[in-house]
Amino acid sequence: MIQLFHVTKQYGAEAPALSDVSLEVHKGEFVFLTGPSGAGKSTLLKLIFCAEPTTSGQILVFGRNVSRLRPAQVPYLRRSIGVVFQDFKLLPHRTVAENVAVPLEVRGIHPREVVRKVAGALRGVGLDLKGGKFPLSLSGGEQQRAAVARALVGDPALLLADEPTGNLDADRTAEVMALLEAASARGTTVVVATHDRGLLARHKKRVIALEGGRVISDGDSIRRATGT
Amino acid sequence: MHRVVRLLRRAVDALRRAPLVTAVAVATVFVAVLVTGLFAAILGGGERLVAAWAGDVPISVYLAPGADVAAARSAAERIAAGRPVDPVTGAEALARLRASLGDEAGVLDGLGDDVLPASLEVRTAGLSLSGTRELAARLRGVPGAAEVDFGATWLERLATLLARARTVGVALLVAVAVATAVLVSNTLRLAVYARRDEIEIMKLVGATDTHVGAPFVVEGAMQGLAGAALAVATLLGASAALLPRLRAALPLASRIGRADVLPGALVAALLVGGVGLGVAASLLSLRRFLRRA
Repeated sequence: MIQLFHVTKQYGAEAPALSDVSLEVHKGEFVFLTGPSGAGKSTLLKLIFCAEPTTSGQILVFGRNVSRLRPAQVPYLRRSIGVVFQDFKLLPHRTVAENVAVPLEVRGIHPREVVRKVAGALRGVGLDLKGGKFPLSLSGGEQQRAAVARALVGDPALLLADEPTGNLDADRTAEVMALLEAASARGTTVVVATHDRGLLARHKKRVIALEGGRVISDGDSIRRATGT
Repeated sequence: MHRVVRLLRRAVDALRRAPLVTAVAVATVFVAVLVTGLFAAILGGGERLVAAWAGDVPISVYLAPGADVAAARSAAERIAAGRPVDPVTGAEALARLRASLGDEAGVLDGLGDDVLPASLEVRTAGLSLSGTRELAARLRGVPGAAEVDFGATWLERLATLLARARTVGVALLVAVAVATAVLVSNTLRLAVYARRDEIEIMKLVGATDTHVGAPFVVEGAMQGLAGAALAVATLLGASAALLPRLRAALPLASRIGRADVLPGALVAALLVGGVGLGVAASLLSLRRFLRRA
């Protein structure tokens, strides 16, 4: 599903945000990317959904080398990827339902089908009664659930979540993680960037740890090394 | 179809959410189209006046002393087929001159009736200046013709002046169009910037540049059309108010109608030009932003 080969990302003359990172995420896997602030978690996600180009190295997503994608091809790759952000990135002047509909509208899906899918997505995150409300009238947890609904409404093969619970309390965090695990259970590959150690402890998943832009441990590797 | 409806809805919604930006863009296009239309209308009216004057002045074919007037007349009628050709004897010409001099006619006392040459007057009603010029050149072939005159000097000067004004006008209009496009594009860039979050999110979920940019282009077209329509309405109103006064003040202007100063083609060109300005401005403002997003 995702393969990184010796990927380096450097902004100007600063120290590399990512340095010689190689890893692989398989189809249907649920993976945590962890590390302190500045470790390179968000940068890694940005490279995967082509928000940034790599400085060197190759990234394959769905078998396609994203480093070689022409700009015009990027939107079509992104339609197979759902993204959830810490700050939700919901449009304040659009209702929750309209926000969730955006990924479907950009694909030119018929309005009737959009209404049906949006209703399903909102039901899936427990916001079926809040579709007509504006994001700023919702709680943080509800806004993040709306963002998850938007990320999942197009049935993406890959879901990337960048600190999705960073702004939420424990109960709301549990709700959002339940939604991500449900998506994973349906076959979606999920990559969650977080620095929340408690989250890692509660959810027994593969953990890739980054520090200073380098992979310092990988759950798979650890298991292999320890024989567990 | 639903894509078009959705696109129009997005554009109208965006216009509604940024009324100030919309008003500034519409006003800028309005001024540009108004200036352009005013210039074109004045130029068109001037050209129509020159044509009217040219049609009003007869071509005079002055005959050499002793020329056969009847033969010259029939030759002139052949050349100016269908146009009235009136012979004017030397005595008639002198009588006209005397009448035109009024109280000063005494200066002509003592002159013989044959002091002025006989001539033929060819009516040119409905002919353009170039048509008149061409006919005058052919009338030089009339047997016995010594000189052909149609008041060319001042008409030619006026026509040259209008031609120069047209050349300067075209250069001026190009400059106005470019300046307006830049002005409107800077205004629209504010609108694009105000919606950068929306653009970012749309691109993150897989929107193509075309999908992101289309509503802005439609907005630009709508603003351009609104500005141009206002300018055209102003020009039509002004022509309706001013033309009757011009006709009252200048008898020759009685032949100038609304269609002469603001013909349908000019109105259509102004509307299309306004839309074009809006679209060009949108594309300019989007180009840099989409590259960054």
